[in-house]
Amino acid sequence: MRLEKCWFCSSTVYPGHGIQFVRNDAKIFRFCRSKCHKNFKMKRNPRKVKWTKAYRRLHGKDMTQDTTFEFERKRNRPERYDRNLAENTLKAIKKIVKVRADRESKHILNRMKGNKSKERKRDAKELEQSIHMVKAPSALQKDPSHTLPKVPVKVSQHSEEDRMKE
Amino acid sequence: MGGKCPHRKVKKRRYSHKQFRRDKFQIKGDDAVYDELKKTTGPDLKPKPPSPFDEDLPGMGQFYCLHCDRYFANLTVRDEHFKTKKHRKRLKIMAGPAPHTQLDADLAGGMGMPDNGPKLMSI
Repeated sequence: MRLEKCWFCSSTVYPGHGIQFVRNDAKIFRFCRSKCHKNFKMKRNPRKVKWTKAYRRLHGKDMTQDTTFEFERKRNRPERYDRNLAENTLKAIKKIVKVRADRESKHILNRMKGNKSKERKRDAKELEQSIHMVKAPSALQKDPSHTLPKVPVKVSQHSEEDRMKE
Repeated sequence: MGGKCPHRKVKKRRYSHKQFRRDKFQIKGDDAVYDELKKTTGPDLKPKPPSPFDEDLPGMGQFYCLHCDRYFANLTVRDEHFKTKKHRKRLKIMAGPAPHTQLDADLAGGMGMPDNGPKLMSI
């Protein structure tokens, strides 16, 4: 049983799923679902479509360089069956999957590192700008504890003259 | 609204125009064109063999645009085509990185390079 990868989104295509297109130069294109097939027919480039793995890897969203990627491969010369080897492999698969998941989550955490301070700033700004959505302005006037303290600012008084000029 | 014929939608009607058919089905895929370009205009440039005469193609198949995979009736038409926006866009795409292939998809999906086993024959 060979698990292929979708041409468009790089997800695994299990036997009996998806659709396969063979171009008249004998190139094979496999698709995991009609979504990917349709996108291919529209001649979209998977590197420019944001939900595909190709895009995510190209733009550093996912982990790219890792030793765990070396295990899953297309093997064009099959291994001779060996009971012990098969047993060990089955044991190793569980471990490898776990290691890979851990590394991937770590990668994402690393990627999101600078975000917290940004988020705080954004939240503070939103609170300042739209506090009236939570509390009516009239209520704020009565109870000034929810607004920012007022800072006296000097304003030059020449509005009368300006109006005369106009 | 719609058109003259209620059961022939605009999208279907488009396929009766050669221009639209070419967009959809008749043109070579990006990667095929890219490979062809690599072969003919690579670093080890070979002199181009004269294209054979073909009665079925426009201009006996003598005026060909490699990037757009199109035949033209004569030289002037082809030169005019070289100036079009479509052609220039195509040039830009072909000058860029190699088009997406199944290998790229496999690598992005978390697979390693294909394993062809040990070499059986030593040269």
